[in-house]
Amino acid sequence: MIALRSLRYRHLAIDALDIPPGLTSVIGPNGSGKTTLLRLCTGIDLPESGSVLIGDRSPRDAEIGWVNEFPDRNILFETVMDEVASPLRFRSVSCTETGDRVERCLELCGIRHLQDRSIRELSGGEKILVAVAAALVHTPSVLILDECDSHLDAARTAALGQLIKRSGTEYVIQCTQQMEVAAQSDQVVYLDEGTVRLSGSPREVFSRLSGTPFYPLSWRCRA
Amino acid sequence: MNLILNGVVANRGEGPGDWSVLADGIFSEGIHLVSGDVGSGKTTLAQVLAGLLVPASGTVARDGIMSVMLSFQFPEYQVTGLTVREECESWGVDPGDVLAAIRLSGRDAHSPLKLSRGELKRLHLACLLSHTYDLLILDEPFSSLDCSEKERVCQQLSERTTGITILFTHEQQTFPRVDYIWEIVNGQLVCRGRVPDALLSWQHAPELVRNLLAAGKCPENIAPGDLVGAACRT
Repeated sequence: MIALRSLRYRHLAIDALDIPPGLTSVIGPNGSGKTTLLRLCTGIDLPESGSVLIGDRSPRDAEIGWVNEFPDRNILFETVMDEVASPLRFRSVSCTETGDRVERCLELCGIRHLQDRSIRELSGGEKILVAVAAALVHTPSVLILDECDSHLDAARTAALGQLIKRSGTEYVIQCTQQMEVAAQSDQVVYLDEGTVRLSGSPREVFSRLSGTPFYPLSWRCRA
Repeated sequence: MNLILNGVVANRGEGPGDWSVLADGIFSEGIHLVSGDVGSGKTTLAQVLAGLLVPASGTVARDGIMSVMLSFQFPEYQVTGLTVREECESWGVDPGDVLAAIRLSGRDAHSPLKLSRGELKRLHLACLLSHTYDLLILDEPFSSLDCSEKERVCQQLSERTTGITILFTHEQQTFPRVDYIWEIVNGQLVCRGRVPDALLSWQHAPELVRNLLAAGKCPENIAPGDLVGAACRT
């Protein structure tokens, strides 16, 4: 379980939130604190007070994969191959093992054909897939995706969902503005003005959002 | 007023992962939706239509178009002000009115680049849509917007009654009412025609639209209200 307790950071105030293993979608209006929450879960930012624990470890002691909402901010290296290999090289994994794991990861993410390309020349969606591959290559226990589906088409969003499942990552936390995607999650957290307003299964959360634009359109159409 | 594409070719290299888009056709007055997969060339084609890129071959001709605006997919590339106030003023709009409309009042002195991504997109679109243009091209205008904002922007776009508006997007849920649907398929820009007839051959149609069509409930258009209306039809 990922446990957030008495958390305070900038305008974010969360007294208690438990995130179980599986896929959790964080939703809410722009500026509600979604990205701030995700950055605290990665350990990129530290809370002013309170705690985030992944099991019994702080985020900075856990293996975490992170995909930034701005595709260009994910990138450190020139080519796709070097970018995806970088988390392993930073960990001094052998060249042979790095090569094997990068190859498998590029295949998993459907971007093997891009391996020698300059990342700067790729489309926004392709950059996101490269960032996802780099986040997954070191088999993290927590994968955090900051609204990266806003740069993907429907087929790639579905493929991303499938590859996340296949990756076997214990915790996946994503923020999304696609309620159809959130409705497929194990858990949904609805933030507003820096506070968790709702959390629970998609059915529990969305039933409380009926009549708002956050209620999935397909659910409106079947009502 | 027309934007005329004659044998336009836009491309990215010739190696693996590269692509080329062939575009022929006429964008007339109205709202046009262009859909396509990631990496199919939507952004490059948008920049060619806006005159920011020169096509590899072919011509883009403007007939009666006196003003052009392109909204980039990533709004940070279009920021020129150091503060939110300066950014509004750079577009020639009153910061008080714009910021109140998009619920950002009191953020005047903040750096635009310190706003959340969705807030920056809201600011960018609010400034941009405060003006009228003969040709308005929007590259992924809905990315990063929350559901409420998507519906508000769609409503605003649906109300554009003059000029040519071209939306390049892979959005799958929230759309304005549109007049024409185009899509990039196998490296070629294809016009599917006027809505609702165009829905029948739209390969990138959202799942919900496909399900409605399969159930024999063709929506009048693709705005949320049209889809819910079609679903509720007996």
